[in-house]
Amino acid sequence: MTLTKKDVRKFLSEYKIVALLIVIVIIWAFFGYLTYDSELGGSQFLTPRNFSNLLRQMAITGMLASAMVFVIVAGEIDLSVGSLLGLLGGIAAVMDVTYSLPLWQTITVVIAMGLFFGLMVGWLTAYLGIPSFIVTLGGQLAFRGMVLGLTGGITIAPVHPELKFIGQGYLPELAGNAGGVLLFLVLVFLAFRTRSNRQKHNLSVPTMPAEVGRLLFAGLIILGFVLTLNDYQGVPVPVLVLLIILAVFTVIGNKTTFGRHIYAVGSNMEATRLSGVNVAYVKMMVFALMGLMCAFAGLTTTARLAAGTPSAGFGNELDAIASCFIGGTSMRGGVGSVSGALVGAVIMASLDNGMSMMGIDTFWQQIVKGIILVAAVYMDIVSSGNQRG
Amino acid sequence: MSDYLLEMHDITKDFNGVKAIDGIHLQVRRGECVGLCGENGAGKSTLMKVLSAVYPYGTWSGQILWEGKELKARNIRETEEAGIVIIHQELMMVPHLTVAENIFLGSEPRNKAGFIDYDLMNAQAEKLMARLKMSDINVALPVYNYSGGKQQLVEIAKALNKNAKLLILDEPTSALTTSETRTLLDLIKEFKANGMACVYISHKLDEVAEIADTVTVIRDGTHIGTQPMAELDTNKIITMMVGREMKNLFPREAHTIGEVVFEAKNISCWDVTNRERKVVDNVSFELRKGEILGVAGLVGAGRTELACKLFGCWNGDHEGKIFLEGKEISVRAPRDAVRLGICMVPEDRKRHGIVPLMGVGYNITMSVLKRYTSGGFIQSEAELAEIQNQIIRMKVKTAEPLLPIASLSGGNQQKAVVAKMLLPEPKVLILDEPTRGIDVGAKYEIYKLIFELAKQGVAVLMISSEMPEVLGISDRVLVMGEGKLRGNFVNEGLTQEKVLAAAIGQPITEAA
Repeated sequence: MTLTKKDVRKFLSEYKIVALLIVIVIIWAFFGYLTYDSELGGSQFLTPRNFSNLLRQMAITGMLASAMVFVIVAGEIDLSVGSLLGLLGGIAAVMDVTYSLPLWQTITVVIAMGLFFGLMVGWLTAYLGIPSFIVTLGGQLAFRGMVLGLTGGITIAPVHPELKFIGQGYLPELAGNAGGVLLFLVLVFLAFRTRSNRQKHNLSVPTMPAEVGRLLFAGLIILGFVLTLNDYQGVPVPVLVLLIILAVFTVIGNKTTFGRHIYAVGSNMEATRLSGVNVAYVKMMVFALMGLMCAFAGLTTTARLAAGTPSAGFGNELDAIASCFIGGTSMRGGVGSVSGALVGAVIMASLDNGMSMMGIDTFWQQIVKGIILVAAVYMDIVSSGNQRG
Repeated sequence: MSDYLLEMHDITKDFNGVKAIDGIHLQVRRGECVGLCGENGAGKSTLMKVLSAVYPYGTWSGQILWEGKELKARNIRETEEAGIVIIHQELMMVPHLTVAENIFLGSEPRNKAGFIDYDLMNAQAEKLMARLKMSDINVALPVYNYSGGKQQLVEIAKALNKNAKLLILDEPTSALTTSETRTLLDLIKEFKANGMACVYISHKLDEVAEIADTVTVIRDGTHIGTQPMAELDTNKIITMMVGREMKNLFPREAHTIGEVVFEAKNISCWDVTNRERKVVDNVSFELRKGEILGVAGLVGAGRTELACKLFGCWNGDHEGKIFLEGKEISVRAPRDAVRLGICMVPEDRKRHGIVPLMGVGYNITMSVLKRYTSGGFIQSEAELAEIQNQIIRMKVKTAEPLLPIASLSGGNQQKAVVAKMLLPEPKVLILDEPTRGIDVGAKYEIYKLIFELAKQGVAVLMISSEMPEVLGISDRVLVMGEGKLRGNFVNEGLTQEKVLAAAIGQPITEAA
C-alpha cells in the first residue's frame, strides 16, 4: 500500500489528537537533545523530575482550557478568566490567611463565588444578548479591580499547609499505584459494557484482539505515567485534579444532552433553538462551568504560590484560549475536544519549560509561543482543507 | 473552427475515490440557452464548480474548450476574465453596501488620487440597471432595501459589468415571486437574442421548457442525454431525470378526518424591525385530526410569519390565542411547542433546519435526546439503533449514520430534518415549504410520508408556494395575502386560478 499525501491528510484530520501527540514527541525529543549534558549523565529535560514539573505547570492552564473549550465550541469567548482566577484565588487567600477559616469553608465559598460570577457572565451574554467578547472584556477589568481592592495591592501570605497541599502536594506512591490500577479497571469495564450494549442493538463491534490490544496499550500508558511520576515524588495533586476534570468533562461532552447541545448551539444556534432546545440556558451553563474552573484554578494558584497575589492569573486567559486552538478547537464553534485542549496545554507548557531550562530569555519565549499558535491553527486549516483565497 | 462557445468533454471529478461526476459532456453555442437538469446530488453543482474553477484545473480530468481553445483556469477570477460568470442559488450580496458598490465590488473605478470614483460608479451602475429595465432602483441605496427578486437582477448587472459571455444561473427563481420570475425569463431571452449564452439550472421544468434551446440531463453523476427542447417535454425530462416513469406525482391516499385538534384565533404579528407594520393580520383557522391543510399565497403573504408564531419563534410583537385539543396553550418558545406536540419543519433548511457540523444521526435525535439517556447519560448504543431505524424509515442516503449532515444532498438533509421533527410524535405538524429545492424523487417520498402521517391522525399544516403541490396534497386550502386570510376552500374542484385570484385579492368571478 502506498501512502499518498491525501491519505496522510485524511488520517491527520480524522485523528487530530494523534497529530498533536506526534508534535509533543518532536518537541520533547528536540529539548531532550538540546539539554543533553554528559557530565550530569543524560538529558535534563527528559527526567521524571522535569516531567512532574511540566505537568504541574500546565495544570492551571489545563483547568481553564478544559472549560474554555466548551465556551469556544458554543461560539463564545471568555476573556475574563485570568482576572476571575485572580479574584477567586485572592478570596481564598484572605479567608485562609486573614481569617484563618477552615479549608472546607474556603473551598465551598470560592467554588460558590466562581459559579456565581460564571452564571452572571452567562446570563448577561445568553439572556441579555450582550456579546461575550464585551461582557468578558468588562469582566477582565472589573474582576482585576476587585482583586486589587480586596488585597490592597499586596501579597497575602503565608497560607496554611492544608491549602498548600492542594497546589504543592503529591499522592503517596501506594495511592498513585492504586489509582492507576483503578483507572485501568474502569477502562476495561467500560470497553466491555459498550461491547455488549452494541451487540444488544445489533451494531458492529471491533474484533476481540483489537479490543484487547487497545486496552493493553492504554494500560501501558497509565503504567508508564504513574511509574515515572512515582520515580520523583508521586502524582502531584493538581495533576490528579486535572485528570479527574478531563474525565468528567469528556463524559459531559460526549455522554450528556447538555454536552451535545453545546456542540449544536455552536454549529447552528437557530436550528438548535427550533429543535426545542433551550439555547440560552445551555450558553449560560457553559459560562457557569467556566466560573467553576476559575475557582479550581484560583485555589490551585494560591496554594501553589502559598500566597494570594494581586497579579495572580494575569494573562492566563490567553494561554487557555491558545491551548484550545492548538488543540484543534474551531474558531467558528461547533468543533473541539477537552482532550485536544489539554494536549494543547501540554505543548505550551513544554515550550515554556524547555526554553526556560535552556536559559532562553522570556521575551523569546513569548515570540516563539505566538508563532507556534498561528502556525498550529494554519496546520489545522490546511489539514481540514478550509483554505481561502 | 467549432461553432461552440463552450465544450466540456469527458469531465470526471472524484472526492476521495468517490466519483461525483463521471464522463460528462456539455456544449453551449453562442446565443444558446442550455437547460441543465438532474435530481439533487446528480452532480450539477459539481460540474459548474469545475467550469468556474472553484475546483481548479488539474483537480479533475477531462477537457474544457472555451472559444475553441483549452481552458486551464486556476481560480474563479480567471474564468470570470474569460467571460464565464456564475450566479449562485444563494445571493452573494453584501447587504449593507449600496447597489452600485455591490455591482462594482472588486472592480471599483478609481480617480487619479486612487480613491473610489463614486460619481462614475453610480452613473455606470444606473446605465446597467437601465439595460435591465430596472431604472426605478436607486443605486445609491443599500441593497437590503430591495426584495430578493431585485437583488437577483443586481447580481445579473454585476455579471454584465464583467462582460459575461456565458451566464450560469443556478436555481435563480427559487426565491422569486411569479412576476419577478417573469421579468428574469424575459431578460434572459433578450440576452440570448444579443448573442449571450447561458446555462440554466432549475428544478422548475416549465421554466426550462420555456427558455432552453437544448436540455442536458444528468443522473447520479453520469450523462443521460442531450436533446433539443423541441423534441422534449417536461414529462420526458422527468423520466430522464429519475430513470423511471413518474405518472403520479402526488400519491394521494384516503385518510379519515377527525375532530378539531388545533385552533388559532385572531393571530396577528408585527414586523421585527418596522414595528408598525402588520405582517399577519387577524388570522383564525381550525385544523382537524388527520387533515392536511395547505396554505397558499404569494411570497410575503405572511405565511412563514404565521407558522413562526404558532411554533413560538416569532421575534416581533404578536397576539392571538392558540388552542390544542380544546385547551388554550401558551407557546413562548419552540421548546414549549415541541413539548405540547406541535412541531415545525422550517422553510430555510440551511439556517433553521440543520446543525451542519453534526452527524446526520445527531441531527435526527436532537429534539428527543432525553429519551436515550439513563441516569443523565446518553446511552449511545440505544441512540444509534434509533438513528439507524430512522435513516432506513426515511430513506436518508448517507454513507455513515454520523457523517456531518452538511455533506449530504439537499433532499437527504430535508428528510433528516423531517425525521427530527417526527420523533417527538407531534399532534400537529407544520411544514414550511417542505419540498423547496429538493429533487422529484425526494419530493415524492415526502408526499407519501405526509399521507402516512395523516392516516395516523396527525394534523398537517403545509405552507407551499408550489400551487400544484398545494392542490395535489391538501384536503383544504387556506389562502393568504398581505397578512390576511383571503380564502378557506375545501379542495374539491379547486383550481390554480381560483387560489391565485384569492391570493391577489381579486373578487372571485366564476368564469364559465
